[in-house]
Amino acid sequence: MLYGYAGQILRVDLTRGVITKEPTPERVMRNFLGARGLGAYLLWTEVPHGADPLGPQNKLFISPGPLSGTLFPGAGKMDFTTKSPLTGGYAGASMGGMLTAEIKYAGYDSIILEGISPRPVYLYIDDDTVELRDATPYWGMGSFALEKRLKDELGEEFQIATIGPAGENLVKYACINHDYGRQAGRGGVGTVMGVKKVKAIAVRGSKGIPIADMDEFTRVAKAAYRACKEADGYEAWTRYGTMMVTSWCDENGALPTRNFRSGSFEQGANIYAPVFREKIVVTDKGCFGCPTPCGKYAHSKKHNIYVEGPEYETNGMLGSDLALGDIEDIARANQLCDELGLDTISTGGCIAWAMECYEKGILNQEQTGGLDLRFGNAQAVFALIERIAHREGWLGNLLAEGVKQAAAQVGQGSEKWAIHVKGMEQSAYDTHSATSMLLAYMTADVGAHHNRAWAITYDLAVGRDKVVPEKAAKVIELQHIRPLMDTLGCCRLQWVELGMSLDFYAPAMTALTGVTYSWQDLLHISERIWNLTRMYWVREVAGFGRVWDAPPPRFVEEPAVGGVTDGKLTSPEAAQQMLDYYYQQRGWDANGIPTSETLQRLGLAELVRVMP
Amino acid sequence: MSVTLIPVGMLKEYVGGQARLELATGPTVREMLEAVGIPPTLVAGVLCNDLLVSKTYHPQDGDTVKVVAVIGGG
Repeated sequence: MLYGYAGQILRVDLTRGVITKEPTPERVMRNFLGARGLGAYLLWTEVPHGADPLGPQNKLFISPGPLSGTLFPGAGKMDFTTKSPLTGGYAGASMGGMLTAEIKYAGYDSIILEGISPRPVYLYIDDDTVELRDATPYWGMGSFALEKRLKDELGEEFQIATIGPAGENLVKYACINHDYGRQAGRGGVGTVMGVKKVKAIAVRGSKGIPIADMDEFTRVAKAAYRACKEADGYEAWTRYGTMMVTSWCDENGALPTRNFRSGSFEQGANIYAPVFREKIVVTDKGCFGCPTPCGKYAHSKKHNIYVEGPEYETNGMLGSDLALGDIEDIARANQLCDELGLDTISTGGCIAWAMECYEKGILNQEQTGGLDLRFGNAQAVFALIERIAHREGWLGNLLAEGVKQAAAQVGQGSEKWAIHVKGMEQSAYDTHSATSMLLAYMTADVGAHHNRAWAITYDLAVGRDKVVPEKAAKVIELQHIRPLMDTLGCCRLQWVELGMSLDFYAPAMTALTGVTYSWQDLLHISERIWNLTRMYWVREVAGFGRVWDAPPPRFVEEPAVGGVTDGKLTSPEAAQQMLDYYYQQRGWDANGIPTSETLQRLGLAELVRVMP
Repeated sequence: MSVTLIPVGMLKEYVGGQARLELATGPTVREMLEAVGIPPTLVAGVLCNDLLVSKTYHPQDGDTVKVVAVIGGG
């Protein structure tokens, strides 16, 4: 008996319209746990080497984790894994909401979408009843509009995930939307759903999850729940959510401003958490099983729109990075991205790059299609978001490819201010003067994303410009802990934000599955998954190695302007030294490739020897 | 004339694990933090009676001031 899991994997062959179910492989779950780990394993074993991310050979793996849908705090997370159309490498995007629990209750540990449907469809799942239904009438609809429509048609209890027009139009950073404001945002997972012509997934489940030791699991989960509720930071966190960090970032030169030229925004006070809360927040909103809801549902009177957010990343990338200093304008940009199905971080990064090109005279008003693309012009931002989603006009189509490709096409030195790593636009922390955080971005397994290791606190605690091995160790430690949460199918924020003890996780997994796990066992599995995703890059990207971990030039060549980091930057040598420390501690060679000894130690040697 | 300062989470490490400190009124929050050894740069939020205020705020007699460590973004 495989306790803690639903026991089946659902395989949907979209090309032939054939739906099959197969037992969840116990050995794989022991070695990779589920969600992110299962996705990485399936990507390695099922998507052949050299597959076109937008071709029929690529697959989308949609997976809850073992803790998903249980009583454990924050058990509302799931993972979408695919070969990224944005970067060409590994993509793993985590999403909150209610869908993960519903998939598990319907009886599935993963849904595999493979092939390409000849016509628009949506996947209908009602426990054992699984159908591909015609989605032609829905093609072109916005994400929220479709979610509402499907709930009206199928019933409120169905949980719905959708793509917007951006996914249909194969914008390389299209996201998947759910629960009117939760996203699997990064790496183009929505693009892959779009090319497969799957407009939506609707799930209802009524089954249970087998638990090995119900009494012990309940005891651990309740204790963890209580720890969250009684945490000193509970009131602040639930009142402001991630927006609370905006003022701190601004104060410490970490708030991306005007395409990361500065870490401080002169209009910052207008977009801080208290302004947000008082001006536009309507209510708090949490995911499945969340005792500490970070979601803030907002209404902008100025634009007459409702939106969940902005949360911090969106506030940074669609706000200060574009020099928008009105929280209602940021909320509007957020709502447009959500409805159209665009990742707010990548969208902000692409528009900021274009604004800088415009400012420098590299793009003119003819190329922008008449838009006055000055920093701070909210109307131009709204218009450009629409054009990107619909690939409208030369600039909309260009930016739909992502900032790396856009800069490669435009040239004229614009690569220098294309802020990305591995082709993924950097999320909202300025890293001119924060060597741990810079290393975290350089080495994150999807590209420049913060969720793998948020190390900027450590920079401030030990000295932000220091180049020492301890910083590489901290980044590695975080890269094992934080993605582990994505593997277990639960939210990291109870630990990160409220200090819920890490000591709860291994006992919970032991009681849930009946397999004795120590915390070190879980970290070892997380390290195994990290190295497998690294090997995926090695396998799929010709010439992959150290050069792919290079920092965005802006942080090592151009000093920051203004704020507490004025005049500061990280030297190229310092960035390379940080990489040396990192590779050595990971057991990778000088080119950043895991050694055979490392792969052996992690139990990956046999798996990676066979390349599909 | 005193203020209760509550360091949240990792900030307790800077005050020897103390859950709350009683301080005299007068200084700003930033000055209080510096006086007890908590680096102000690590404080993301200052909540005076559960409302967010800036580090330049002068707490009044009887106020409870929670200082929250930097958090992890989205």
